[in-house]
Amino acid sequence: MKSFRAIFRLEFLALVRSRALLLLTLAAVGWMFAFPHLVTSDGTADGARELYVHYALGGAFALVLVSLAATAAGSLAKDRAAKRLQLTQVRPVRYSVLVLARALALVAAGALVLALAAAVLVLRSEPGRTCYHVLAPVMESPRAEAEKMFDFYMNDPETPDEVKKAPKATVLRLLTQRAWDNYQTVAAGETVAWAFNAPDVADGTRAVRLRFTNDFDTRADVRGSFRFGAWTGVVSNITRAVVIVPLEKAGDDAGMGVPGELAFSNQGANALMLRPRRDINLLYTSGTSGFAVNVLFAWLELVAMLAVVVAFALFLSAALGRSVAIFTTMAMLLVTEMSPSVIEQYPDSLETDAKDRIGLEITRFMEKVTSPFGSLAPLEHLANGECVEPGEAARALAVDGVLLPLLLALAAGVVLPRKQDGL
Amino acid sequence: MNVIELNGVGKTFRDFWLRPTVKAVDGLDLAVAQGEVFGLLGPNGSGKSTTIKMILGLLAPSAGTISLFGLPPRARAARARLGYLPELSYLHPFLTAKETLGYYAGLCNLPRAVAKARTAELLEMVGLSAVATRPVGGFSKGMARRLALASALIGRPELLILDEPTSGLDPVSTNEVKTLVKTLAAGGMTILLTSHLLADAEDVCDRFAIVNHGAKVAEGKVADMTTSLQDFFLAKVGEGRTFEVAPFLKG
Repeated sequence: MKSFRAIFRLEFLALVRSRALLLLTLAAVGWMFAFPHLVTSDGTADGARELYVHYALGGAFALVLVSLAATAAGSLAKDRAAKRLQLTQVRPVRYSVLVLARALALVAAGALVLALAAAVLVLRSEPGRTCYHVLAPVMESPRAEAEKMFDFYMNDPETPDEVKKAPKATVLRLLTQRAWDNYQTVAAGETVAWAFNAPDVADGTRAVRLRFTNDFDTRADVRGSFRFGAWTGVVSNITRAVVIVPLEKAGDDAGMGVPGELAFSNQGANALMLRPRRDINLLYTSGTSGFAVNVLFAWLELVAMLAVVVAFALFLSAALGRSVAIFTTMAMLLVTEMSPSVIEQYPDSLETDAKDRIGLEITRFMEKVTSPFGSLAPLEHLANGECVEPGEAARALAVDGVLLPLLLALAAGVVLPRKQDGL
Repeated sequence: MNVIELNGVGKTFRDFWLRPTVKAVDGLDLAVAQGEVFGLLGPNGSGKSTTIKMILGLLAPSAGTISLFGLPPRARAARARLGYLPELSYLHPFLTAKETLGYYAGLCNLPRAVAKARTAELLEMVGLSAVATRPVGGFSKGMARRLALASALIGRPELLILDEPTSGLDPVSTNEVKTLVKTLAAGGMTILLTSHLLADAEDVCDRFAIVNHGAKVAEGKVADMTTSLQDFFLAKVGEGRTFEVAPFLKG
């Protein structure tokens, strides 16, 4: 424990005395203050908050993440090249402790800067504003739906031969992607219903969120009514891409809807196309905390993400030379950030040639490996007024903040003495 | 009991494709007994530093076995009992002298009170008390060397490994270091040192080994020498090694 504290203190002092921490703080906090003066929103409070969270806090986080990942990637390698590392290695200290203490010092510095940036966000927002819990319809998983579809699809004469010759895993991936994007058509005058596992609470408010972020222009005319148990809401002539329809307690004479079921009656002139898995959510505020607490949970998740990236960069630093470790870390960060959009853009590898297919396979692999901790979900939640759920933050802390860094530190501890051998 | 034992130790460095490039140490046998001052001597590139690094566990031998206190060199129990002064001081420039010793005391898991007392004691011993709160980055080479020596001693090691301990020191400081080595040895500490300054080594060592091209060419007790260590050394490794100056002068 004493050696852990000594190494932690050394690394933290290095950041303080080199003024790196001061510069990082000034840059991140300065960006938070400067952003509203540089960019104007659409004039609505929601639009301003979305922009501010996404680009101001997101920018501050990106700055902290990239700076500290680069510092971590250079950390052990730099000390090894300067031969200072050997003076620590010959002491009775576990190599994994050496890596872990350094990681914690870097994460503590990053957490501090992010806390200041988050504090600015809270001060400049509405601290008392409550967030929404978000529920998706209860549906079969896209994978299960794909598996059910598989035989039918492969025997369908209209399925291209190229697809029929493809490996089962590729076709299943394609069908899973389609299941996510399956459209449900609600004809004019028709009523449809989706089931939700909503908790049985009386307090708070309810709302329905519809997203129209698809290729079809269905935004022009949405008219209809929602009913969820005793709650009802009306939507009409909405032209926005995301519509939040508040639900209100209906009077006694209105009757009750089916419990746990959200019914929608399309009263517009046109059919409405929706992807239930992506576009429909039930929102409720019962038991939610204020904006400041929501930011705190988001901060915890971001710190956890920082921890896993820093630990990974330190692992690379233990195994590689400084410049190679920094380059690899930056490349990995870039691919992690880009892979989801690349995969979404090219969902079907069958449509590409062999060269692109290899690239796609690598990107898919990277996305699979990094998606559990590489998602910027907390920023998305904050920007959309959604709650960062405590359970989600606890999971991120346990897995990304503790478990993965521990495993990476152990692996780095094994690699570190071998790197000295020139292996 | 031997504190250090090397049996048939060899080290071959390899390139990226694992092809052997340099054979730095070849079949070295060495034993350093408890309480003795042992000099590992040899010309530049003879394999001294590689041997020291293998003893410290910083490099793994390609052949043979090494034991420190009967343990593998990378065992934490072995590392807890040694102190090391490298050829250059390699200190963290942003730390003060006091913080530097505090850092190494922490690595040795010393309790806070012990660390504090020992830091003050060692700073006094190496004459750096007056500059205890100054950043090490501004120290002269001699001051840095003395601080590095204090760092090596902070854990009260049973084995002290000194790589060129008097390198960069003025004659007065050199004499101080030699006196310190003798005092520590008299207190029962085992010391392994390398040095190019054979007169210094002769002054402090009980026994010595000379290595050349990675192999041991001589071993003995300083007390048994009939000539100076310098003459003996030159006879063993320096024969025929002179610069050809004549063509240069002619040209």
